Amino acid sequence: MLRALQRRLIWPLAIVVPACAAAWSWDRLESAGSQDGPGASVLYLPSGRYLKAASLGFPEVLADAIYIWSIQYYSNYTAADRFAYLDHIYSGVITELDPHYVDPYLIGSLIMSTEAGDHEMALRLLDKGIAANPHEWILPFEAGFTCYNDIKDFQRAAAYFEKAIANPEAPGAIRRMHAEMFNKLGDKRASLDYWLEVHETADDAYVEDISWRHVHDLRIEIDLQTLREALEAWKSSPRGAGQYPQSLLELVRAGVISREPIDPDGVAYAYDPATGQVRSASPFRLYRRGPA
Amino acid sequence: MKIMAIAANTFKEAIRDRILYLLLAFAILMIGASRLLSLMTVGSEEKIVKDIGLASIALFGVAVAIFVGVGLVFKEIEKRTVYTLVSKPIRRSQFILGKYCGLVLVLAVNLAVMTAVFYLVLIQRGWMDWRLTGAIWLTFIELMLVTAIAILFSSFSTPILSSLFTVTFFIIGHLSWGLRLMADKVEGVAAKFLCEFFYRVLPNLELLNMRGRAVHGLELPESQMAFATLYGLSYTAVLLALAVATFRRRDFL
Repeated sequence: MLRALQRRLIWPLAIVVPACAAAWSWDRLESAGSQDGPGASVLYLPSGRYLKAASLGFPEVLADAIYIWSIQYYSNYTAADRFAYLDHIYSGVITELDPHYVDPYLIGSLIMSTEAGDHEMALRLLDKGIAANPHEWILPFEAGFTCYNDIKDFQRAAAYFEKAIANPEAPGAIRRMHAEMFNKLGDKRASLDYWLEVHETADDAYVEDISWRHVHDLRIEIDLQTLREALEAWKSSPRGAGQYPQSLLELVRAGVISREPIDPDGVAYAYDPATGQVRSASPFRLYRRGPA
Repeated sequence: MKIMAIAANTFKEAIRDRILYLLLAFAILMIGASRLLSLMTVGSEEKIVKDIGLASIALFGVAVAIFVGVGLVFKEIEKRTVYTLVSKPIRRSQFILGKYCGLVLVLAVNLAVMTAVFYLVLIQRGWMDWRLTGAIWLTFIELMLVTAIAILFSSFSTPILSSLFTVTFFIIGHLSWGLRLMADKVEGVAAKFLCEFFYRVLPNLELLNMRGRAVHGLELPESQMAFATLYGLSYTAVLLALAVATFRRRDFL
């Protein structure tokens, strides 16, 4: 009886006891594990060029797997030195395995820029993506936005936006950002030209209205700047002898300016000969600029 | 006609071996992947589902080609059924070609069903792109070539050795470009010649790999597709001729 019971129990016990031991040790190892997050060893993968050879014709699938892993890994905020291999993972591994895979360029640069704060690293990754995928407008757009929003390098931003808008599929908003970069750079005439182009080719009422506001205000700013320079030139000339002209028409007659400018609303600029102050009678259309 | 009879028999045999269970695994993998990926990734779902689909079609196909292919001829010899066959008015070439056609038929059915499941998932998610068919076609050509390698080894070796050889050839087929690089690096005319020789002689399976281009929606040039198909079929023909020549020398009596 006892022997029969022993015989009956021996095999279940032979399974249950080691299974419990395995579960217990697994739990201990898990709780004592590093803070690096699951699969941290992926960080030390060799270059994607070698992995590509080892993937036996399936580099895209390997790139997918490492990309999915990277999303989980970089979502773990407790991992120590989590940005140490950021460049290697995105630039050295995933995008080497599959250079046409656009999302890793976007997400990788976002992590580099927003979380690691290394904007230049992000731009290097995006440059690599642009070189491998010249038909993708989103990559130069992202690079341009990083230059504009994060490092305030409007010159580089304008160059990236120009690359993006060379693609006919690029959304119209990028053309507006491109035009505005020149305004930020202080080149109001170039900005006006680009805004005019946006206005003339606008295909909806919103774009038509917003581009008109920019054109309107830029024209006023350019006119005011031209008039102020002309007034100062008059004042310092022998004819002005330290005085401002009595009217703006005098500047035209003297050939300092070709014609008396009219603001975009068709109203002449207000001029005070006593102080030499010139201003627009029409208010700016963009509230952020304040009164003219 | 005799070839077709042997092919039909080989097909039935494979079906009896429950090869089609693989299709169920593929369907589960595809549907599961398309559902689960949205939890795991940021963007790229479409690209990943397409990658997994194409890779699974190829890998499941290669697994069938190798592990069924290497046993095709050997099993007949081991079970001594080959004696009955060769004593009948059937040429050895007909026997090998019949076996080959039967397995290719199995692969074609497998591939067709897997492609249908794959396309259903893509259509359901609104990601269908017919350019993928070009990549799947070349995968089929690759499977035909791998099957021919398996049959060749199966005609003179045991299944274990044949699978090792075939898997090795499959790996070499995807790495043969390395021989070209090696030819540039090694010194000595003989070494260079050997590298160049093996580069040209060994199968270059990367020529049949358009999966990446198809997934990214890049153009699959018609001429490239045609030449890749011609390359795969010609190479397969050479391997089958070698298999027949090897099998003809075997003495079963």
